[in-house]
Amino acid sequence: MTDSASVVDVGRPAVRRGTLSRSLRGGLKGGEYTWAVAFVVPYVAVFAAFVAYPVVYGLWMGSEASLYRELFADPIYQSTVVNTILYLALGVNVKMFLALLLSGFFMRPGWWMKALLLIFVLPWAVPQISTFISIHWMLNGEWGFLNNVLYALFHTEGPSWLNDRWTALGAVIVSHIWKWTPFWTLILLAGRMAIPVEIRDSARVDGATGVRGFVHITFPLLANLYLICTLLSTIFLLGDFNAVTFVSGGGPANSTHVLATLGIRDAFEIANPRLGVAAVMSALPMVIPLVIILMRKLRTAEVQL
Amino acid sequence: MSTITVEARLSSRTRARTRSAVRLRRYLSNAGTVVLSLTLVVWSLVPIYNMVLISLEPEGDVFTDHIWPRAPSVESFWGVLTQGHWYLEHFWRQFANSLFIGAMVTFFALLFGSLTSFAIGRMRIRHGWLVSNAALLTYVIPASFLAIPFYRIMQNYGLADNPWSVIAALVAFATPYAIFVFQEYGRSIPIEVDESARIDGASPPQIYLRIYLPLMAPALVAVGTYALLLAWNEYLYQFLLLSSKSSMTVPVALAQFLSSDQSPWNFMMATAIIYAAPPVAIYYAFRRRMTAGLTMGGVKG
Amino acid sequence: MARLTRRSVLRGSLALGATSLLPLPRIARAAATTATVWFAQGFVQDEDVALRKAVTDYEKASGNKIELSIIPFAPERQKIISAITSGVVPDVMDSNPNEILQIYAWQDRWVDVSDVVETQKAQFSDTALQSAQAYNSVTKKRGVYGVPLRAAVVPCHIWRPLVEKAGFKIEDIPKTWDAYFDFFKKVQDNLRKQGERKVYGLGFQVTANGVDPYNLFTAFLIAHGGQDVVTRDGKLHLDDPKVKQAAIKATAYLGGAYRDGYVPPSAINWNDADDNNAFHAKLMVMDVDGTLSTEVAVKEKHPEWYFKDMVTHGIGYPTDNAGKPVPSVVGVTQGLIPKGAKNVTVAKEFLKYFIQPKVVGEFVELGLGRWLPVMPSLAKSPFWQDPKDPHLRGYIQQGLLGPTVPDYYVFNLAMAEVRSQHVWSLAMIDVAKDGVKPEAAVEKAFKRIEEIFAKYKVA
Repeated sequence: MTDSASVVDVGRPAVRRGTLSRSLRGGLKGGEYTWAVAFVVPYVAVFAAFVAYPVVYGLWMGSEASLYRELFADPIYQSTVVNTILYLALGVNVKMFLALLLSGFFMRPGWWMKALLLIFVLPWAVPQISTFISIHWMLNGEWGFLNNVLYALFHTEGPSWLNDRWTALGAVIVSHIWKWTPFWTLILLAGRMAIPVEIRDSARVDGATGVRGFVHITFPLLANLYLICTLLSTIFLLGDFNAVTFVSGGGPANSTHVLATLGIRDAFEIANPRLGVAAVMSALPMVIPLVIILMRKLRTAEVQL
Repeated sequence: MSTITVEARLSSRTRARTRSAVRLRRYLSNAGTVVLSLTLVVWSLVPIYNMVLISLEPEGDVFTDHIWPRAPSVESFWGVLTQGHWYLEHFWRQFANSLFIGAMVTFFALLFGSLTSFAIGRMRIRHGWLVSNAALLTYVIPASFLAIPFYRIMQNYGLADNPWSVIAALVAFATPYAIFVFQEYGRSIPIEVDESARIDGASPPQIYLRIYLPLMAPALVAVGTYALLLAWNEYLYQFLLLSSKSSMTVPVALAQFLSSDQSPWNFMMATAIIYAAPPVAIYYAFRRRMTAGLTMGGVKG
Repeated sequence: MARLTRRSVLRGSLALGATSLLPLPRIARAAATTATVWFAQGFVQDEDVALRKAVTDYEKASGNKIELSIIPFAPERQKIISAITSGVVPDVMDSNPNEILQIYAWQDRWVDVSDVVETQKAQFSDTALQSAQAYNSVTKKRGVYGVPLRAAVVPCHIWRPLVEKAGFKIEDIPKTWDAYFDFFKKVQDNLRKQGERKVYGLGFQVTANGVDPYNLFTAFLIAHGGQDVVTRDGKLHLDDPKVKQAAIKATAYLGGAYRDGYVPPSAINWNDADDNNAFHAKLMVMDVDGTLSTEVAVKEKHPEWYFKDMVTHGIGYPTDNAGKPVPSVVGVTQGLIPKGAKNVTVAKEFLKYFIQPKVVGEFVELGLGRWLPVMPSLAKSPFWQDPKDPHLRGYIQQGLLGPTVPDYYVFNLAMAEVRSQHVWSLAMIDVAKDGVKPEAAVEKAFKRIEEIFAKYKVA
């Protein structure tokens, strides 16, 4: 009895008066403990060999104070920060919200749903260099596909989408949402699948369907996953430079840069990699709280059912 | 008697109204489904349609004024398949490299990710949270900026120009994410399932293989496709770590087309379209795993 | 760090089933005569073929082995920076982009190659020799760190059919600077009268993306008398009234052409490929763009374009408004040997071999003439002087035989950062998009340029 109780223990360093070996193993018995260690070693090895050094080196690269002075003196730094915040706020939240709704939509049965899901997944599957460049050309004011269609359908000349800071930034955000919503939809769909059939059935029997079912049953069960996905997506997006680079090029006139692309420009065009790392690290004050919340989320363990 | 008749008539009317209300709701819901489906199709396909348009352009012109292919030419697709263009000389070799790297990254990310999340989340190894938190450190600095130190350590390890260097780097990036999703997903599988198996005398590997993995199937498919696509479309590390034409992968080959002047865009788009096919096909093959509902077997929650 | 490395190597091999490493003795022996060379991929296949031929010939002649990596042009930059920053470098690389010579010379990262350049010193043009030098902030002197290999210049490219459609002839094009470009405004007006809504007369890259806008602006700056913005000693002369006037005139003309509708509106956000795409699709009458890649790219598939329809003004490049020839800026690709290279001896041998006139001459000729040689004697060859070819004679006249100057970052690397930060572009765009007065736009640009130059104090 005490054994199973200790197995259920979270791993939070509980105050345990026992033998040293027992507190080290967390209550797992001999053979099992070896197995547990063996299961964890591969990833720890990968981490030690391939993550520890680069991350420490990367942190070192961005650690000089003068870099930040130079960074803040860059005339486009402020607008870049604004862009980054908008990009993150809209890109992540609209995308995750759509993913949440669509994951419910795709739960419907039917072969056409599966076919639709396949089409829906295409934006994510096709290499982003090509799709984003395609979008860049599509949005060309004079000769792009989008304006050609507008002219054919409505006989109006569409605007030059990439000539204005806000429409260009909008285009970048929409491109990002276009590419990544399918992925997060799949993840949330998997999350919905994890909700045991019994719960879904009993909810339906109790009359909790539709919106009510979603609010009271589904969403609370998905909430943790949703939050983790949102946080991870924010961290990923911070380093994503592809959408801006290929869709708007950071233009017009450097007005749609985000921290990641500013960092890339500093690292590879001005040939100052340390300045580039500093650009991304200047977002650390925003990233650290997210990481801490993520850590907390991962520590609390409950079996919900 | 009259009251009973009145009540009966009232209830039948309300029943009829409810029936038509239900029918209306179903009709609206079906119509809504159709509208939403069409929207999704158009939304997803427009930029890809533009790519197809360009791939069929004989001159590779990207600036035209027509919205249907005017003089479609499949020369670009043929060029990819027959390696007929100079940039595509080694296309199939590079394609094989991409397949190899993609398969290895997927396999190891899933393997390490599920093993670790099993040990931390199910077996509840002591201080397991240390590992998952440390894994988070991987993401503190975006991957594109870690490229330079990676380049250096791969040289130090003697893995220059070796696909395993890319595999190692991508596994290092994909696994933490896999761990998190598996942990989260695994929460909805009651620990009693493991417990009863233990009581029945199953060893950890057996629990892992027979109980944990099957129940995790949807998450495995989702994360597996993520890892595959990450490796499939990742460009920067493959470019930096692989130098020779024979070890290169298709994304690197795609980047060749970005030479700043004239470029045969129709070939580039054709390459991208052909290159996108395998992950989509693989996802399609596994879609049933994706939608397999969880059955709890004989265990009651 | 050492502990981590040893353990990680063990773990790494355990975890991944290590690949086989080459047995060490073989490496040591091979290293004595092997050199790794990185070179940018050409824009046409012939360039790569020409390079491989030169390398194979060297291997046969010398008995040494060269491991040649031909790397896609645009991404090679990232590879070079990663290599130099991480300390794991090849033996020879080409200067991609050209200013890495000056940027890393400042940080003392190159091996001095004056002995290599000496072997052919008499052959090189003055511009090439100047471009091979850079200031080293560690040794506090200028040194020769590059071996000039080939060069590029920025001609004007024109579609003859569009000019003729507007009722003009190529010969009608005026010879002086402002009139030259005004001509294309007239061409556009006439085309518009004929109902051609989508064609634009001037393909000015009024954008803050890529290198084209910088080349464009510098050409205009020099044409209007601002050549001395940075002098050979590396000093900045923004207070020179001639320079200021020239900058104002350039900004006013380029931004004004956009405002008046003679430049495609999307030009504000073009990247380096967009202007070529538009030109290729005949959506612009002319553009000012580096090298002959536009022409060479279509030579095989559309010979009629190459031989008849596309016109390159190398000869015919406009003079300044007073009729004096305008010097063209030449970008010189150099061979570089990074410090930390494993085989400097073979690297130098290879470069000495490569710059022999007949070797390097053949190299640029086999590359279809997209790049220019840097040795005037080579300009007389039948290839370059072919009367049947409409582009090569003009190209080499503009880029080698006529008046040329090196790019400004050769004198002071701060100009490279001015280019990467697109300072001139922002001035043009201010006028073009927001209607700012050229004087104000130039003031703002000058201020930023001074800030950038202040970071690099030449002793």
